[in-house]
Amino acid sequence: MQFSVKYNRINIIGLGNLLHGDEGFGVTALNAFRGASSFPERVNWIDGGTQGIYLLDYIESCDAVLVFDALIPVEYDRGVYVYRNEELPAFIHRKMSSHQMGFSELLGLAQLRGKMPKEIVLIGIPPRELELNIGLSPEVSLLMPEALEKGRAIIDGWLAEG
Amino acid sequence: MAKKIVVDPIPRIEGHLRIEATLNDSNVIEDAYSSGTMWRGIEVILKGRDPRDAWAFTERICGVCTTVHALASVRCVEDALGLTIPTNARIIRNLMNATQVTQDHLVHFYHLHAFDWVDVVSALKADPKQTSAIAQSISPWAKSSVGYFKDLQQRLVGFVESGQLGIFSNGYWGHPAYKLPPEVNLIAVAHYLEALDFQKEIVKIHTIFGGKNPHPNYLVGGMACAIDPNSDTAINIERLSMIKKIIDDTNTFIDQVYIPDLLAIAGYYKGWLHGGGIGNYLSYGDFPETTLEDFKTLLWPRGAILNKDLSTVIDVDPRDASQVTEEVSHSWYTYSKGDGKGLHPWQGETNPNYTGPKPPFAHLDTDKKYSWLKTPRWNNHAMEVGPLARVLIAYAKGDPMIKDTVGMVLSKLGVGPEALFSTLGRTAARGIECKQTAGFMRHYYDQLIANIKTGDLRTFNSDRWDPSTWPDECKGFGYTEAPRGSLGHWIQIKDKKIKEYQIVVPSTWNASPRDANGVSGAYESALKGTPMINPEQPLEILRTVHSFDPCLACASHLFDMHGNEITSVTIV
Repeated sequence: MQFSVKYNRINIIGLGNLLHGDEGFGVTALNAFRGASSFPERVNWIDGGTQGIYLLDYIESCDAVLVFDALIPVEYDRGVYVYRNEELPAFIHRKMSSHQMGFSELLGLAQLRGKMPKEIVLIGIPPRELELNIGLSPEVSLLMPEALEKGRAIIDGWLAEG
Repeated sequence: MAKKIVVDPIPRIEGHLRIEATLNDSNVIEDAYSSGTMWRGIEVILKGRDPRDAWAFTERICGVCTTVHALASVRCVEDALGLTIPTNARIIRNLMNATQVTQDHLVHFYHLHAFDWVDVVSALKADPKQTSAIAQSISPWAKSSVGYFKDLQQRLVGFVESGQLGIFSNGYWGHPAYKLPPEVNLIAVAHYLEALDFQKEIVKIHTIFGGKNPHPNYLVGGMACAIDPNSDTAINIERLSMIKKIIDDTNTFIDQVYIPDLLAIAGYYKGWLHGGGIGNYLSYGDFPETTLEDFKTLLWPRGAILNKDLSTVIDVDPRDASQVTEEVSHSWYTYSKGDGKGLHPWQGETNPNYTGPKPPFAHLDTDKKYSWLKTPRWNNHAMEVGPLARVLIAYAKGDPMIKDTVGMVLSKLGVGPEALFSTLGRTAARGIECKQTAGFMRHYYDQLIANIKTGDLRTFNSDRWDPSTWPDECKGFGYTEAPRGSLGHWIQIKDKKIKEYQIVVPSTWNASPRDANGVSGAYESALKGTPMINPEQPLEILRTVHSFDPCLACASHLFDMHGNEITSVTIV
């Protein structure tokens, strides 16, 4: 049992559609991160696809959640973007699928139900190519190591806190 | 003078749909055009791949019903290879499919459709005491105290006052077409939130049998899960009893929450019987008790009804090249032998060719091509697919459970069977069917236990796993009835690879553009004749389109580059 731990359960979620080029960034990042990590059991890996409302449980059931997703930020320069907690809803312009339930709506629902995690971080890269194609564009692939490094720092931090 | 109204995109659906409608001077819809505004193209991605992997790709084309594409896909490959699956695999697939339909119908009712009938903002004015009294009068459901509703209402007020309307921000709150008293609105909002707990429990059945969720594992030849009552890692006694509990809770929720809510809400809207549409209904059937080709054992019968004539159910054969066809006279594709000539999916072509106006544009050129959806036809008839079609076909065939439940709903509402041919009828049919599939979950659980008790633990038939056992060339058809209607996958395999793959999805049937003869699809027909109170707030259009449970993602492309989040309503 881990009564003394601050983050009993940490969920890492990859979002997006693998069939549409850089749309698949989140899921690709999740798989790469998972392959290169050996976190303790309280860290869970979730390939969320484009499941929208069906992902609510994965947000509500943990103390901290890290999300990887292709996103269109307000400032549309290439790079790795990291948004924390209250920065989140305002920055996410992207609509997820599942009946157009966006990630920000999911957070809204979790809030209304009083089941928000203590920490939410989103790591995103603006997509370059969204054509029907399996695999990331070279531009997005080049940013992948930086995205994973930032993800690792966040998870390490949460694990170190308790 | 006639007005034209454009709603783009239709909110609270999967994927992108645009509706253009013309209204007469009294704001009654005279004509409507339905356009899928993004391209799908999974057929192109599958060419040349290993047929045994196709399910994993098709599972990704939709953000909602992942399992249904996986199911249709493994079925079409098994059909092509002449493969029969073990009894346990058939039962598990049926149980997962019943779970999918049950969950999907419930989520549709509360999370995608309810706000076409339920006014959230009105719920803020409800009297918690009266709300509690009403709730207790319609159902024995335990969460119905004055304190429960009072607490919820306070949370809701706080949420709305914080300016974070979020999930509720797209509504036409206060629209005169809303008819529920504040107390019934509050009950519905309470159950909107409770249904979220329900849906996260029920999907655990997919996790147990499919290894993970979302995107559970399927397998050509059976299922990938091992059954061993005494093993820690397989489907064992502990997991089976967990499934049993979820199934019991599901049945309770549907009987004590969904059905009473449906009846309570419908009672206030039984004067609004618009949205009937074409009156032709199609179902491929599903839930085989033996094999998929043994049609008489399907718990959901196969058949077609034309012109609302419930006295005759016509036989259907989706393998017959003359029965199921797709044409593209109003779709942005070209066919090598003429766009107006319907092609059976085994002869199908996917050559995209956008000829519409350059965005941004005011109107589509609806006389010409105006949609990314093809136009499927059954024996040249436009057909409606989905819960209403299936319930009517089962009703016409005399299914006792459906006859009883339909009879109960009609008598409680005090309406005749003709009321079924409407938007409300479609919504009621979904509830009736959800009760039925929750019963199927029990049925298949019992079947599974009985079969395991005989000592049969097999879940996989490996006879055709090795490609060297395959013929040089073969073709197959896989079908399922997805929550929103008939789904077919047609595959051709050559030299161990996919040569052609064609998918005809439910929303293509329902949302199709006109055919070469100018005959409208199901959405287009259903919208005609609907009076609108205020065209700038097209609640009536949303109501009818949502009643079909549109899922345009698998009918078209997913991601909107321009972040077109806010529905625009234009009137000219």
